[in-house]
Amino acid sequence: MRGAVLSISLLAGLAAVTAIGQAREDPRKESNGSAQAGATTIVQTCSACHSLKYIAYNDLLNLGIGKQQLDELRGDNDLLSHIAAQLPEDVAKETYGVIPPDLSLMASAREGGADYIYRMLTSFYQTPQGTTDNHAFAGTRMPDILGISYATDQQTVSQIRQTAHDATAFLEWAADPKANERVTLGYYVIGYLLFLTVILYFWKREIWKDVTD
Amino acid sequence: MPKRIVAWLDERFPFTSFVRHELTEYPTPKNISYWWNFGFLAGFVLVLQMVSGIFLAMHYEPTTKGAFDSVQYIVRDVNYGWLLRNLHATGASAFFIVVYIHMARTLYYGSYRAPRELMWWVGQVILILMMATAFMGYLLPWGQMSYWGAEVITNLFKATPLIGEQLVYWIRGDFAVGDTTLKRFFALHYLFPFLIVGVVIIHLIGLHHVRSSNPSGLNLAAKDNIPFHPYFTAKDFFGLGVFLIVFCGFVFFAPDFFLSPINNNPADPLKTPPHIQPEWYFLPFYAILRAIPDTLGGALAMTISVIIFALMPFLDHSQIPGGARYRPAYRVLFYVFIVDLAALTYIGAKPPEAGWILAGRIATFVYFAVFLFLPVLSRLEERWLVARGLPDELAELVKPRDRRRTRKERRTSERDRRIPTAPAG
Repeated sequence: MRGAVLSISLLAGLAAVTAIGQAREDPRKESNGSAQAGATTIVQTCSACHSLKYIAYNDLLNLGIGKQQLDELRGDNDLLSHIAAQLPEDVAKETYGVIPPDLSLMASAREGGADYIYRMLTSFYQTPQGTTDNHAFAGTRMPDILGISYATDQQTVSQIRQTAHDATAFLEWAADPKANERVTLGYYVIGYLLFLTVILYFWKREIWKDVTD
Repeated sequence: MPKRIVAWLDERFPFTSFVRHELTEYPTPKNISYWWNFGFLAGFVLVLQMVSGIFLAMHYEPTTKGAFDSVQYIVRDVNYGWLLRNLHATGASAFFIVVYIHMARTLYYGSYRAPRELMWWVGQVILILMMATAFMGYLLPWGQMSYWGAEVITNLFKATPLIGEQLVYWIRGDFAVGDTTLKRFFALHYLFPFLIVGVVIIHLIGLHHVRSSNPSGLNLAAKDNIPFHPYFTAKDFFGLGVFLIVFCGFVFFAPDFFLSPINNNPADPLKTPPHIQPEWYFLPFYAILRAIPDTLGGALAMTISVIIFALMPFLDHSQIPGGARYRPAYRVLFYVFIVDLAALTYIGAKPPEAGWILAGRIATFVYFAVFLFLPVLSRLEERWLVARGLPDELAELVKPRDRRRTRKERRTSERDRRIPTAPAG
C-alpha cells in the first residue's frame, strides 16, 4: 500500500515536472534584448572573420529575433545554413597568420568564460610603436574592431562597452542555448525532489519508530 | 492471481526464498549510520551512468572528425540531449565522490578487516575498472584536454622496460592518439561498465556472506540486527533523495562545474595546452606521478599508490576490532591521510614549479608513510590501550601478546574474532 502511494506520487510528480518543463521551454518569453542586440553585432561585424558553426540562422528565432530582422541579418544565406566567416580561411591565414577561431563555444572555452570575452573586447590599447595590443590577450592578432583603443570621448567608450556587453551576452547564449530551459526545468526537478525527500524522510521515520537502541 | 504466478515461479526458480534471504530476512546491524548508504548510492550512479551512456552512444560519433561535433549535436539538437550529457558528465564525478566516501568509511571503521578482506579487494578491482572506464570516457568528447590527457597517460607506458615503445603503440593502435585510439576507447568504454556490474555482483554476494560491518567493529548479537527490508530500503531511499538534490543542483545549475573550459576546444595535436591535468578524481595520483623525477619511478609510484589499499588487512596488526571507534591513534592516522589526499589533489592541479614540486614530494612521502607506519602504530596503540584498561566489550577479545606463541596459535586467535557464520535469525 505504502509502496503504491509512493510510486503513484513519484510518477505524478515526474509527469508534472516534464509537462511544466515543456510548457516553459520557450525562451522567447525571457528578456534577452542584450543578446538580441549582440546577435546583430556578431552577424554583421564579427562574422567577417569568425564563423559560428554550431549556430544556424534559424536558431536565432529561439533567441526572440523576429522573422523580418532575421531576413535582414541573413541576406542571401539559407535559413538553415550555419553562420560562416565571410573571409576565406586561406586569406585569413595570409593576412593575420592564424585562422580566426570559431565563436560558437567561445564563452565556455576560455578560462573566465563570458567575462573573458568582455574583457578581451574592451582591453585593446595603443602601443608606443603605434600598433594595438590587448591587456587580456597579449599579442593577439585580432584588430581592435570596436575601436576602444582610439576612442577619444567618454560617450564613444561607453557605447563600445555596451556593444561589447551585448556581443558577450549573445556568445554566452550561443555557447549554451539551452541554459534557460535547463534552469527552468532545474527548479521543478529540485522542487519535486525536495518534496519527495521529505516524504521519504517521514516514511523512513515511520518504519524505524519501533527500532530502539 | 499474483500469488499463483509467484507459486508457479517458485516451483521453477527460488524467487520467494531469494527475496526472503537477501531482503526481508537479511540481518543488518541496526547501528550502522548514514555513512553506510554510499554503497547503495554507488550502485545507483552506476546504473545512471549506464542508462545515460547508452542513450548518448545512440547519437555519438567515434571519429576524430565527428566526435566533437557530435557532442555539440547532442547538446543542441537531440531532444533533452543536454540533460543526458550533463547527467553523464556530472555522474562521472558523482560516481567517484560516492565511491571515495564509501572507501573512506571502510578505512575509518576498519571494515576491510577480517572477514571482509576479500570484499575490500573486490572493491579495489571495481575502483580500477572505474578508473579505466573514466579515463577512456574522457577521451570521447575529443576536446583539447581529452586528447592531451590520453596522450600523456598512454605515453607513461613507454617507461616499461624493453617493450615500452611497442606497448604504447599497441595501446593506441597508432603512433599517436588518433582515430584508432578513439574507436577502441569508445568500444571499451561501453564494455567496461558491464564488467563492473559483474564484479559488483561478486561484491554483493561476498557482502551477504560476511554481512555489513558496523561502527563499533564488534560482532553484534542477533537482537541488534534488523532485516534489510524495509528498514534499510527506507533509509537508503531517503539517502538517495538527499543525494539527488545535490546531484541535480549540479546537473541543472552548474553543469560545467567539474569540466575544464579548455576541453570545449576541439583536440588539436599540434597545439599543446600550457597545463595538462586530468579530472579532479585522478589528481592525487597524478601528483604522486609527478613527485618522482623519473618516469618509470613515477609511473610505478602512481600504480602502487592505487593498489596499496589492498594491503590494509595485512598492515593493521591491532587486536582491537574495527577502526576509529575504539582506536584514537588510528583515527588520527585516518585524518592525516585524508588531509594528505586533499593536499595531493590541490597540488596535482598546480603547475609543476619549484614550491609545488617540493610540496608534492612531501605529500607523496606522507601518503606512503601512513601505510608503512600502520603496522607499528597499531601494535603500539594496542599496548597503550591495554595498559590503560579496555572496556568490557573488548577485554575478552584481546589476547595478551606473547612472542613465543606459535604462528598457528595466533591464527586461531584471529579466527575467534570473526563473525560466527550461523545466521542469527
